[in-house]
Amino acid sequence: MRKLRFQYHMQLNFESPAREHHFTLRCMPVQDERQSIVKEQIAIYPKHYSSTQVDSFGNRCMYGTTKEEHTCFAVDVKGEAVVDHTRFIEAPSHKVGLYRYQTRLTEPGPYLNTFHECMSVMLEQMNSPLKKAQLMMEFLYYSYRYTPGVTGVNTTAEEACRLQAGVCQDYAHMMLSLCRKEKIPCRYVAGMMLGEGATHAWIEVYADGRWIPLDPTHNRAVDDTYIKISAGRDAQDCTINQGVFMGGGKQQQEINVIVEEI
Amino acid sequence: MNTEELCKYSDSVNELLARYGVKFGIYKNNTFKEQLFPFDMIPRVIHQKEFDYLERGLKQRVTALNAFIKDIYGDKKIIKDGVVPEEFVYSGSGYLAQCEGVMPPKGIYSHIAGIDLVQGKDGSWYVLEDNLRIPSGASYPMIARDLCRKGLPSAFEKYHIEDNRNYAKMLRRTMDNVNTGGHTVILSPGRYNAAYFEHSYLAEQTGAHLVTGNELVVENDWLYFIDYSGKKERVGAVYRRISDEYLDPMNFNEESVIGIPHIYDIYRKGNVALLNAPGNGVADDKGIYYFVPRMVTYYLGEEPILQNAPTYLPYYEADMQYVLEHFDSLVLKDVAEAGGYGVVFGSKMTKEEKEQFIALLKKEPRRFIAQEVIDFRDIDIYEDGKIVPRKADLRAFVLMADEPLVWKSGLTRFSRNPDSFIVNSSQGGGFKDTWVMAE
Repeated sequence: MRKLRFQYHMQLNFESPAREHHFTLRCMPVQDERQSIVKEQIAIYPKHYSSTQVDSFGNRCMYGTTKEEHTCFAVDVKGEAVVDHTRFIEAPSHKVGLYRYQTRLTEPGPYLNTFHECMSVMLEQMNSPLKKAQLMMEFLYYSYRYTPGVTGVNTTAEEACRLQAGVCQDYAHMMLSLCRKEKIPCRYVAGMMLGEGATHAWIEVYADGRWIPLDPTHNRAVDDTYIKISAGRDAQDCTINQGVFMGGGKQQQEINVIVEEI
Repeated sequence: MNTEELCKYSDSVNELLARYGVKFGIYKNNTFKEQLFPFDMIPRVIHQKEFDYLERGLKQRVTALNAFIKDIYGDKKIIKDGVVPEEFVYSGSGYLAQCEGVMPPKGIYSHIAGIDLVQGKDGSWYVLEDNLRIPSGASYPMIARDLCRKGLPSAFEKYHIEDNRNYAKMLRRTMDNVNTGGHTVILSPGRYNAAYFEHSYLAEQTGAHLVTGNELVVENDWLYFIDYSGKKERVGAVYRRISDEYLDPMNFNEESVIGIPHIYDIYRKGNVALLNAPGNGVADDKGIYYFVPRMVTYYLGEEPILQNAPTYLPYYEADMQYVLEHFDSLVLKDVAEAGGYGVVFGSKMTKEEKEQFIALLKKEPRRFIAQEVIDFRDIDIYEDGKIVPRKADLRAFVLMADEPLVWKSGLTRFSRNPDSFIVNSSQGGGFKDTWVMAE
């Protein structure tokens, strides 16, 4: 068990003024069996109306509208989380089925199918979904190189597989695609890691009535240095900052995350 | 009055319908065209006793469908108990994960259902399709009846025909039942929608405001209607005639410009009613149709009153065998398609087409259902001065207000092509009024 202090800053800079800006933010860490949020402060700029709710995947959201013209939209979330990786998130098997099916972003094509095919003999010999997932994670880790700047937020698992490169989101999507080919329910997780930088992404696989988190980017189990923000079928369900607005022109987004142990 | 006499009025009633704008639009090759919806003067007549049977069956069916939607987005008992395989739920296009855990006002999902029925030659009725998203069509027999009554009052004096002009009252009762406080509006995508006539007619008849997305706004977790003077008035119920994906760019298709940002967020909180509920497509998918009689038994503990057309799911091995052995006598439907598209008859395929189709069927068995071709009972239509038989169906409307209500009328659609079974208006069909004769 660890106590972590986190700071999340997101800023959207517009080239020309934006107005009638509707937003939904999923950047507040979830409260679940593994982690509890003990302190939390949220600030959104500029002036706005906003409200909170929990979405269909159990993620906390802040949504609202900023009417006034602005060239910068920013959100800051600060707080403390107590994380305990020895605890498990449990769920009944008849309620996790929706995580067993491919989405637009995870749908496999020839590249992923071939990749999966290569492991099929080994997979057939395994009877536990967790072992299967761990094997696929290892294969993935040693077959691809972490390469920033090649893929984007809309890159599908199949495209990433074809490019043989990508970032944490792509690793997570490829893992989801492979697990779903094995009919294992699994979900995408957006979160933060100890240190300073950007947000991170990993997955949870459903095995023996529990959600087990795995980090395919690092080929390892998720420990107490990870703070989970949200979960969903793929990255789209976990979009941290979603918005529609008028005007704005070109936009540029800055994200900065600091997580330290206390 | 006999049929010939009735038919004399055919041209004048159709002219009036055209004048009132009884049209529907279709997109073909990316251009928008408006077509008149041809009206046939000869009504479909259903006697009270027979309609009573349909009414009981329809209430039962829609009650079960509503229970199914509630269960799927909630407890999922029907999956747990293995009555419906989860694959049919989650890989159907109608299932929306965004609706998980959302309970609409009073637990009603299917406020307005259009159930398509056909009658076989032996007189027995079959349900062909359930439409629980935004079924259209009630306005056509409403206005046709109104015009016919004006033109031929004697016919309506002599026969005891159930008045169908109460649809607006039934709809109003349905909307008021779930209204969370404030105005009732009918939300239309606008002038270029296929069913725009219906949107405006129903608004006029029910006294609801006819609005487009840019006249509604979410503020402080409530929905407001902005009137022409700029004044904001609270809205408590939205009979929306735009599809789920375009309803709210913040929750569904981000590209939508006709929706209302955050409307689904406040609906989730119970601050506004949406008719029908988003996510209903999970229950009217062609693949799910197969399971509807089982839902009736499962949720209500009753024997289904209405039957499905005999249907096979190639997903099940035994059904696949049957389909392959009886291919020529079956009609095959792609579960993802609607409006009469994606429907093929085994008997009408060339050898090559058949081979291709069977290969596809074996590759994607979940994508198709197969049905026996029902020997429809033809009904008479008046065409070019002659009375000729044509295939027809009946769309019955079931409204879920404080209790289920069945409209004592319905939209009878017919195929104008003598060789076709497809009656959809988008494929050039016409319509008739449906008279329920009081005893």
